[in-house]
Amino acid sequence: MSAALELAGRALAHAAAAADEAEASVHSERSGLARFAGSTQHQPTLVDDTIVTVRAVRDGRVGVAVTNRTTDDGLREVAARAADASERVRADPDFPGLPEAATAANTDGYDEETAALGPAEQARLAASAIAATGDIPAYGFFTSGTTELAVASTTGLETSQRVTDATVVVLSAAESLSGYATQTSSAVSGIDPQACATEAAEKAARTSGAGQLEAGVYRAVLEPYALAEMLQYFAWDSFGALGLLEERSYLAGRIGERIFDERVSIADDGIDANGLPKAFDFEGVAKQRVPLVEDGVARGVVWDRRTAKRAGGDARTTGHAPPVTWQAYGPLAFAISMAGGDADCVDELVSAVGDGIYVTRVHYLGIVDPRGGVLTGMTRDGTFRIRDGRIAEPLVNLRFTVAVPNMLADVPALSRRVTLVNQSDFYGERYPFGALAPAIATAHFNITGSGSRPGI
Amino acid sequence: MRDLCGTAVDAAVGAGASYADARGVFKRSQSVATKNGNVEAVSDVETEGIGVRVLVDGAWGFAGAGTLSDESAREAARRACEFARAAGGGARRLAPLEPQTGIFKTRVEIDPFSISLDEKIDFCLDAEKGLARPEVKVAEAFARAQLERRVLVSSEGTDVEQELVESGAGIDATAVGDGLSQQRSYPSAFGGLSAQAGWEFVLGLRLADEAPRVGEQAAALLRAPACPAGVMDVVIDAEQVALQLHESVGHPTELDRVLGFEAAYAGTSFLHPRDCGSLRYGSEHMNVTSDPTTPSGLGTFGYDDEGVPAEPQPIVREGLLVGWMGSREVGFPGSMRADGWSRMPLVRMTNLHLEPGAATLDELIAGVERGIYVETNKSWSIDDKRLNFQFGTQIAWEIADGRLGRMLRDATYTGITPQFWGSMDAVGNRDSWRLHGLTNCGKGQPGQTAHVSHGTSPARFRGVQIGVHA
Repeated sequence: MSAALELAGRALAHAAAAADEAEASVHSERSGLARFAGSTQHQPTLVDDTIVTVRAVRDGRVGVAVTNRTTDDGLREVAARAADASERVRADPDFPGLPEAATAANTDGYDEETAALGPAEQARLAASAIAATGDIPAYGFFTSGTTELAVASTTGLETSQRVTDATVVVLSAAESLSGYATQTSSAVSGIDPQACATEAAEKAARTSGAGQLEAGVYRAVLEPYALAEMLQYFAWDSFGALGLLEERSYLAGRIGERIFDERVSIADDGIDANGLPKAFDFEGVAKQRVPLVEDGVARGVVWDRRTAKRAGGDARTTGHAPPVTWQAYGPLAFAISMAGGDADCVDELVSAVGDGIYVTRVHYLGIVDPRGGVLTGMTRDGTFRIRDGRIAEPLVNLRFTVAVPNMLADVPALSRRVTLVNQSDFYGERYPFGALAPAIATAHFNITGSGSRPGI
Repeated sequence: MRDLCGTAVDAAVGAGASYADARGVFKRSQSVATKNGNVEAVSDVETEGIGVRVLVDGAWGFAGAGTLSDESAREAARRACEFARAAGGGARRLAPLEPQTGIFKTRVEIDPFSISLDEKIDFCLDAEKGLARPEVKVAEAFARAQLERRVLVSSEGTDVEQELVESGAGIDATAVGDGLSQQRSYPSAFGGLSAQAGWEFVLGLRLADEAPRVGEQAAALLRAPACPAGVMDVVIDAEQVALQLHESVGHPTELDRVLGFEAAYAGTSFLHPRDCGSLRYGSEHMNVTSDPTTPSGLGTFGYDDEGVPAEPQPIVREGLLVGWMGSREVGFPGSMRADGWSRMPLVRMTNLHLEPGAATLDELIAGVERGIYVETNKSWSIDDKRLNFQFGTQIAWEIADGRLGRMLRDATYTGITPQFWGSMDAVGNRDSWRLHGLTNCGKGQPGQTAHVSHGTSPARFRGVQIGVHA
């Protein structure tokens, strides 16, 4: 039995004594992040923490309490707080009861080599990225960590999973030039900090002398870094069941309808070994692969048991319960996976665009209209003009205001290769997640302004 | 907690640190949310831990440990030193600071944790009742309370203790119809309004009194025309001015961003260190002050997380850039804050205020021949140097010949920071000046969330690009 599951069992023993039903979940993290700026490591952070969440259920009323005190006193106290809360709250009509034990898919997201990385190795890997950017200063980080989620309940559910993750981010930048690259994997052997830095530096070297661009609708190539982030933001409202039920989702009223180009298929696939796999959600329910859009047709959203009960009918959980403290956000798509196409390389996409723009990365997205799927943001660290089917001169950072459904309505080509792009900024407790995305060509990318030049 | 911090600092110095500090933090956060007459979410989170920051051979190291024991404190210190040695190559220096001792506590009339969960739930359910309309699909209310006890001990002799209490609440109404979804919020969007205060602050918001107006406006937005596009004058309500100030003045004047520390994530700044004292940031009506001493501000403290005593700092005077927010390392010390015990302190804006002018809101509107008045943030985005921004608001009204006209939905405006602030020709008076608390300010890798307040009034801007559409 893992240490986290053993801890969950101890917490559950305290909680079960004062409730009809109880659940204890444990979320532990041991991680290091070596951050660098100006080619010097300046904010190295090590975190070692274990969070215990207790749900106590009495007459349909659910009390929740959280602690990181893992002593017997701490567990007794958090169980008492949860029990007290269950006395004070009202019954939740959407509470479906605690889940029964079930078998989850056998996903393997744990790597011994990654788990063994200590601060010296994390700093060394950051240094190797810094060295590879050459004369152009490096900004970014290397991070690796081990997280474990364990859930135990009075319904007999007992499950746990350890996962590892490693990510390198490199911005290679000087005055008036900058390039960006990132790699992420569940195993450190799956990323190459030097290659990542080289990609960023080579991109940066091409951005000097950036020019302006008139506002207007352009054809465009989006690298996986840009597309993944835009899909993730679109997903917050549109690919979760709560957004669907509350009609914030673009998919509301459109399930079964053609919403994107037929070349576009998107799923949420938490058990895909090519991503950052997870076997179960925060209630211990097995994760499923969920088709969201197939051949351009809206197929569905991700569900947890609570939203499924609220919806009634045929709705069933897909294994996407968030942490209880995030319950108000509903189930969210944390493993977006967009299928690739036929293009063997990005040059084919550029050729397909002919005349347009090339976007490496986007910055500071804002959701202008959730129901319409409208996002705004800036391009950054590698924006170019495409002329005559080739990448031409660099451009300043561009503001775009784009309805994602418009952007994906006409997709002339997609790269065959899909790339795992980290989507976690590592706020709060570590929960590594990313999106698998190809590079795409689109016929519709609405530029609404110009901003700063590339670089520092 | 203090003893453990001392143990960690001693262990770090023993392991070769030329400087060390340790922060012990206990935090309790309680939140309640109701939706459509039912309890949506309730949580009660307690965490504690110690964060040890060291300088070894001029390089930083930091380690956080969630287990409170002598052994874990020493282990965190050892690991922080190991990380600093491995990082290497540093030349970090700290500005001198006299050892500080003292205690700071938020002034609280009603301890928000003395209000039971069932009372908070009843409060929220009562608050959301008035939102109900046939068009309102989602009526929700929420309340939160937070207690944070911090101890800071350093190898230079600083030993300070702080107890910060926050309370907040809000209501949202989301109306749906004809393929549209429109939301109105009070007092603010994205989690209501919070302050460093007790439950008395929540009671003073009078949510239930405002709910009928909020619900009615949400429903009316479904029938309102979309905001037209064009260049025109805009009067911005105090809450949206707060976010405008936060994004286009607060972040660019954080000195770590100016020096590139945040380049890979949140971005840098269009400003250069040499700009202080010479760069024209805005019009002569623009006076901005950083003030961590503001009563009830979310960015209020007695000492920052380096132990620097709180004091106001002018940032912009009559449109001229005159100061920064910084740290002992980068200069202009006094704005270092960390998100809990598990994160390294960063330069974080404290309360940042736009000083009031002389106009009433009616006078601001009366001075517009053709334009719009906008209220309550809906969306925000700004480029990595904080130049090109675009904001959306929940609601707007046409202004024609100095009078408010019809309601408009989906209003957006965009601009370039210094030109925009240069176009501000009037600021609301002190009677309209309010503190607006933000609880979702993100920065750093790993990510850190900070809470900060901005004192602002409504303000008027000339010749702004309005109505950016997809």
